[in-house]
Amino acid sequence: MSAAKYGIVLAKITGAALKAIYVVNIDLLKQLERARIFVKVEELDYERDLEEDGWNYLRDITDLANSKGLSLETELLKGTVHKIAIQKVEEWGADLLIMGELEPGLARQDTFHDETGLIFRKARCSVLMAKDTERIDELFESIT
Amino acid sequence: MKLSTLLRREAIVVPMQNTDKKLVIEELLDAALATGQILDRAKALQSLLDRENLGSTGLEKGLAIPHARTSAADGIVMALGVAPEGIDFQAADGGLSHLFFLLLASDALTGTYVQILALIARLNQQADFRQKMLAATTPEEIIAVIRKTEE
Repeated sequence: MSAAKYGIVLAKITGAALKAIYVVNIDLLKQLERARIFVKVEELDYERDLEEDGWNYLRDITDLANSKGLSLETELLKGTVHKIAIQKVEEWGADLLIMGELEPGLARQDTFHDETGLIFRKARCSVLMAKDTERIDELFESIT
Repeated sequence: MKLSTLLRREAIVVPMQNTDKKLVIEELLDAALATGQILDRAKALQSLLDRENLGSTGLEKGLAIPHARTSAADGIVMALGVAPEGIDFQAADGGLSHLFFLLLASDALTGTYVQILALIARLNQQADFRQKMLAATTPEEIIAVIRKTEE
């Protein structure tokens, strides 16, 4: 949510167009099914739930943008997170990609560790990681 | 997220006492009760058994992950059992299971739940991790092995 709020603050100041994506990590679900950790019915069940989480998230941040008088174009996509993020950056000709902060104690084995690293390395535009939730909340509240 | 911070020492069983599949799950679930996050033991057990009926959660390389999402869990609940001698858990590779990660999650935490399952599977890919886990004899040693591997 911090990344979205920071993006809204920047868009409000600069007049930039704002877009947001939520990627359902299908790749990870398929990996777990191949490793037999999931059976097929679970994979489909979790995919549906993650999709619902995604729609809820996009709806929430659209409300946030609207509350500051901005419109927000959103897309819910499925696939490998870094590949889709990079693809959308190129498709839109984005100038800046904003991501949320990873947990400080993230294990190297965590999937998000890899995905974030790949986005940082491969994205053709500048990448910003939104940090300090409290400060971002203050900034967000300060704009009208 | 890190398993070493999610896992409570009270929820670690070393060595496992039971060898029957259902009793193994119950032993792990009883360890998980120590977290105070199991709201309904009978319901949690039923969720785990229902999942097991879809297909064994005994995987490869001695790893088993009995898991379920259930309203009987408050948040993410984990327990860990170590069976140096190995237990027949109807594993995918036909071998004995040595490391048992029990994972329960409330319905709203699908994303986190999926991440943790992937994290466990990735850790167990490391031969060194598996060897050290089987050599550990106390919950403290087990948490130390997980922490070191995660670093």
